[in-house]
Amino acid sequence: MSAGSETQTPAIPMQDGLARRIWIHRADYAYVMPAILVMMIVIAYPVWYTVELSFYQTPPSLQLRDKIFNGLDNYKAILTSAVFWKVTWNTVVWTFASTIIAFLLGLGCALALHREFIGRGLLRAVLLIPWVVSAVAASYVWKWLYHSDFGVIGAALVGMGITDKPPNFIDNVHTVLPSLIVVNIWREFSFAMIMLMAGLQTVPDQLLRAARVDGANAWQRFWHITFPHLRGVSMVTVLLLAVSNFNSFIIPWIMTGGGPSNASHIWITHIYELAFGRQRWGVASAYSVLLFLILMVLGYFYVKALSAGDDKRQGA
Amino acid sequence: MSDTPEIESATETEFARPRSRRGFDGWRWGGRLFLVMMLVYTVVPMAWMLLTSLKTGFAAMQFPPQWWPKEPTLVNYKKLLDPSNSVGQDFLHYLWNSLFVSTTTTLLAVLVAVPAAYAFSRFSFPGRRFLFFAVLLRNMFPAVIFLVPLFILMRMLGLVNTHGSLILTYLTFGLPLAIWLLKGFYDNIPIQLEQAARIDGATRFQAFIYVVMPLSTPGIIATAIYSFIGAWNEYIYAYTFLSKNEQMTLPVGIQRFFSENTTDWPGLMAASFIMSVPVVVLFLVLQRYFVRALTEGAVKH
Repeated sequence: MSAGSETQTPAIPMQDGLARRIWIHRADYAYVMPAILVMMIVIAYPVWYTVELSFYQTPPSLQLRDKIFNGLDNYKAILTSAVFWKVTWNTVVWTFASTIIAFLLGLGCALALHREFIGRGLLRAVLLIPWVVSAVAASYVWKWLYHSDFGVIGAALVGMGITDKPPNFIDNVHTVLPSLIVVNIWREFSFAMIMLMAGLQTVPDQLLRAARVDGANAWQRFWHITFPHLRGVSMVTVLLLAVSNFNSFIIPWIMTGGGPSNASHIWITHIYELAFGRQRWGVASAYSVLLFLILMVLGYFYVKALSAGDDKRQGA
Repeated sequence: MSDTPEIESATETEFARPRSRRGFDGWRWGGRLFLVMMLVYTVVPMAWMLLTSLKTGFAAMQFPPQWWPKEPTLVNYKKLLDPSNSVGQDFLHYLWNSLFVSTTTTLLAVLVAVPAAYAFSRFSFPGRRFLFFAVLLRNMFPAVIFLVPLFILMRMLGLVNTHGSLILTYLTFGLPLAIWLLKGFYDNIPIQLEQAARIDGATRFQAFIYVVMPLSTPGIIATAIYSFIGAWNEYIYAYTFLSKNEQMTLPVGIQRFFSENTTDWPGLMAASFIMSVPVVVLFLVLQRYFVRALTEGAVKH
């Protein structure tokens, strides 16, 4: 093991040359190589292949030797189709609504659970369960809750006299997307909750007490003391939620398959259907590349938020 | 709302002090009400799953519904767990496959993530930051992007319809978070501990095994739970890579079961329940580690 590889020892001067520095640290790479190698096989190759396929017209079977180069035709076909804009709008609504509401509900729970009371640990554990339950199981359970004839939600609404007959939640173009968003939020609000609960522990008690002495009310204390301390963890939480919502697949796919009439198709389900349903591999790949570009922009902020935390830790 | 200044003991948290003697506290009651509402939102679907699974098909399909099963029955569970009928046979297959794939993935993920996270935390080789964020970026991209090329790759490797294809894929999407979680743990273990061991004559490897590893056990447990839950619940790759019934894991198997028995809601709810039990129990038992690890990276120390 090279002796100069610890962070504590003085850094090797930059003018030493990259090759030399790599040589000095050669043994360090042995630790990360297994991870990098697995990732390379399963990531680098697929990404490259997707980009390549997006410029080809492909036969329906996966006999991809017969593909024909067609330049940017796949991209043109996507951007001019009406479905694309419909699906994009759905994706925007889905991502923003899920992220914002899940974050706010998680914040509310974190604040309410911050004070000690009997059963707090149990309550936190129960609220966390939806987050670990399989999305497939959750989708079926909610599909049953929403069932148009025997669903318990519809029955409860009728029982309370709100509607005459059970509403049809997921077979209706207007209600399907909000209904699915409710399911999505159910699964992920507790993720925001635990992140923010940990964040709340970093808020100094003295500051809150001092503010109280100075006559600040609960809202002022929250807005001027608690919330600023939560900014870092909130950034990370919102980004992680946004990325995972943007990439959602299981809930819409199992519950509606994108229907009725594309009302609940989001990008990922649409791409999946194009590829594995209609076997239009080239178009699906072009879609993936567009998605990739959008994610790169998100990824910039993601890395920035995560590395901000990383730098703080290194400096500490 | 301005309270009179009071001297509080340092251990008491800001919110812990009973303030009811000051009359009605809107914020506090609002918080309680909110928690009750969230509890209902969380629990009702799970409770209804359980109640439905205890009904017969006939009892489940009624309007208005039987809020409480009139004749609770375990017949749905018996059917799923009985190896002598075809449904039970399939279901036990799925259960076993899920267990096998998830356990193998978990073991491999820990084996690969531990050295990588340690290196990212301790060493400063060129490209360290780049590689670390390249690893993290993997989590940004949805499965669908990788699906077609991976399918072709797996066909080239002869892994289609094998559990190997799933384990290899799950490994890569579990690794980034595993490495991130573990790195957070290693960052918080003082390097002086290792240095002391090295001065006493231990090699770096010995210092790692005898000093760092025991201290990072909570992190490793958390990483293992995370990998296990991720692999247990994964759906899209399993759905695409496996077409043979005897290879399927639970999420895909349940979907197949449902597409054949579209109206057997109690059976489906029982299957969903059985599928949720292992991860929920695992999580509840070990959630202390899990929550700590997840927040270790996000909250600065």
